[in-house]
Amino acid sequence: MKSILINIWKVAVREVNRMTSRGLYILVVLVLPVLSILFFASLFQEGVPTKMPIAIVDLDQTASSRKVARNIDVTPVSTVTENLQSETEAMSELRAGNIYGFVVIPKNFQSDILASRQPVISYYYQNGFLIAGGLMQNDLTLILHTLSGGINIQKREAMGQPEDYIKSQVQPIQLSTHQLFNPTANYSVYISTIVLPIMLQLFILLMTVYSIGIEIKERTSHEWLRLSNKSIFTAITGKLLPYTVIFFIEMMFQNFMLYKVMQIPMNTSLGWLMIGSFLFVMAYQAIGVFFIGLLPLMRHSLNLAAFYGILALTLCGFSFPIEAMPPVFQYWASGFPVRHYMHIFQSQILAGFEPRYSILSYLYLVLFFLLPLTIINRLKSALIYQTFIENVHQT
Amino acid sequence: MKNKNINIFRQIIEGFSHAFRIWMREFQLIFSDVGVMILIFAVPLIYPLLYSFIYYPEVVRDLPIAVVDLSHSSDSRQFTRDLDATPDLKVATTSISMEEAISMFKNRKVRGIVQIPKTFSKDIAMKRQTTISAYADMEFFLYYKALMTGASFVSLETGNQLQIKNLMNDGLTERQAQITAEPFKMVDNAMANQAGGFASYGIPAALILIIQQTLIIAIGILAGTARERHIFGTLVPMDRKKMGTFRLVLGKAAAYFTIYALLCIYMLGIIPEWFGYGQSASLVELIALITPFILSSIFMGLTLSVIFKNRESAMMLYLFTSIPLLFLSGIIWPLSNFSTVWLAVREIFPSSNAIFGYIKMNSLGATIFETRKEIMSLWIQTGVYFLTACITYGYQVNFSAHLRRELASHSYREIRKKIGIVG
Repeated sequence: MKSILINIWKVAVREVNRMTSRGLYILVVLVLPVLSILFFASLFQEGVPTKMPIAIVDLDQTASSRKVARNIDVTPVSTVTENLQSETEAMSELRAGNIYGFVVIPKNFQSDILASRQPVISYYYQNGFLIAGGLMQNDLTLILHTLSGGINIQKREAMGQPEDYIKSQVQPIQLSTHQLFNPTANYSVYISTIVLPIMLQLFILLMTVYSIGIEIKERTSHEWLRLSNKSIFTAITGKLLPYTVIFFIEMMFQNFMLYKVMQIPMNTSLGWLMIGSFLFVMAYQAIGVFFIGLLPLMRHSLNLAAFYGILALTLCGFSFPIEAMPPVFQYWASGFPVRHYMHIFQSQILAGFEPRYSILSYLYLVLFFLLPLTIINRLKSALIYQTFIENVHQT
Repeated sequence: MKNKNINIFRQIIEGFSHAFRIWMREFQLIFSDVGVMILIFAVPLIYPLLYSFIYYPEVVRDLPIAVVDLSHSSDSRQFTRDLDATPDLKVATTSISMEEAISMFKNRKVRGIVQIPKTFSKDIAMKRQTTISAYADMEFFLYYKALMTGASFVSLETGNQLQIKNLMNDGLTERQAQITAEPFKMVDNAMANQAGGFASYGIPAALILIIQQTLIIAIGILAGTARERHIFGTLVPMDRKKMGTFRLVLGKAAAYFTIYALLCIYMLGIIPEWFGYGQSASLVELIALITPFILSSIFMGLTLSVIFKNRESAMMLYLFTSIPLLFLSGIIWPLSNFSTVWLAVREIFPSSNAIFGYIKMNSLGATIFETRKEIMSLWIQTGVYFLTACITYGYQVNFSAHLRRELASHSYREIRKKIGIVG
């Protein structure tokens, strides 16, 4: 037992020496992951988009229409950047991407209101961008309803209705919305908490495949196996150990950025957070080993890792809910650790549900550890016989 | 004088034929490399299909919710039926306690809870304001949106009917009551992607990004492979005759351009047609946008390719940019909320302007004139990256030529040692 530990240590030391000998390792293991974390943390600093440019087409130019325009301007989501003369002009500005939406106040707006002729206010918004479109719609609907309510109140006052009664009548049914177990309707919570692990899994996958694949490619696998006393388990454990440590630290750095710097609520203990992060790193390393064992020619296994790693963005279900996808993809999605990690995040960390609600997700993550067992013999023979060397014709 | 003219003429002909040979040689390199073939052909062919199938349902419909009906009245039952009738929501269960509803929520049996207060029916009868509480799932933005859309629609509609009824009781005619309740009408016009479908929103961006990323990685892989293949690790082969930089850059670019021009017919023509994504842009408009996009991506790829020392370097060092680039394009996070730094970084990559321009043209029907900012930026990028590609390749060409001269007086081993290749 002791000799195995010593061998693992020896392999790990050898790996650290290899890591420091090439710029590529430092870049992929340290520089790029940290840069990615900082990039997303900085991009979503604000949490909710504000001050999106919109235009007003005021065809009425009266006190009432100007009041509408002013009210639209003061909402936090949008800022009126342009006052335009016609709908066509505004549409062109929208198409050119200079504004995200516009509101058209019709001619005779004020006189139509006074004469109870029910004028029509139209609003247009760019729905090709999901977040901007949704926010714009909410914002404009809300502000116009408020304005409409204001006119309603004035009319009722003129009719001599008592104040309390008016209040209850203008909005007989009020909708109070609560975000269950998450006090903030913060977009950066949606995006950054999932995108950061997705970035990291990409680096873990690529690095795991590379660190083993390069031994095959450069025919150093014999030296590696000798050091581990010809045990493939020792060899792989020792080799991956330094990466496990580094990537785990990066996971924790990322958690620090999310929960301390960006102040996303964290409703679980540090212990659970560490367990989740650790299992996440290990699960992806296991998948990396599986890929290189399946396709010992590094050029192919790297392609596979890239394909799988990029697909995680779609199949983790953060953008589009898994339950709404066709059934085939729902099963497929279980094959992505980030999906289970996301579940743990949503349920345990953000909502603060008891761990028993996410225990299945932890189990799934552990299940990935078994994956390398299926190809371990294939990988070992690839390391011993070096049958997967690409032929390079030097010229 | 006449002689000189003939000379220039001959040089041009020679340049073209040389560029043509490089073009064909690049084809040969691409088509004989399975890894690159998979990247250039399989990825652009398969990814759009895959994404389209995954996002096929496009929108969230019939989100299962629990209604906690504390009122148990005909009014509250009508309200529940109205919720169920919206396309967004489906009432999975009613008549349960809040505790039970929360437990179902934790087990993901329901994705939202609507609570009708005990006094609901009484409030309505007494003409008092009543409050409906909606508890939304924050796990998915689309779930949150579905619950809010459905619940607020029903609340507004029901409220409106009550208001009109009460006003009519006060002696107004129906028309007067309607106008009092709703002094002006609001018309909601969603431009581009009217249905708010997810595929129509995400896939155009993905298509453009795939073009750029596979191009840059493929060029990088071939550059890394070339260095592995050449005995002194040079990017440019040490041919007997020094290669012209322009011919080299143009010949290589021509090879990628022809392949990607053909791929674009499939990716930007056939895929949107099959799956019914926006296709307002005419062929001419698409060509005006996509031509500088492909060119700038190729020249950027050629420029970057000099840093990839090995075959796998491009994949290891460049692939990760795909995810940040999607966000930098501005389709997820509004550009008006970008800091100046990220707006500047955004301008480095052709995909940013191309995605924006493509969505504008294809979903909103923007003309070439309305997309001029993006098209101009792409042409500027093409120019800048063409220059950088020429400079970096020029340096590599000279370096290879230099090594070749060295060979006359030094041994292989000496040269390898000198440029830092051990063994």
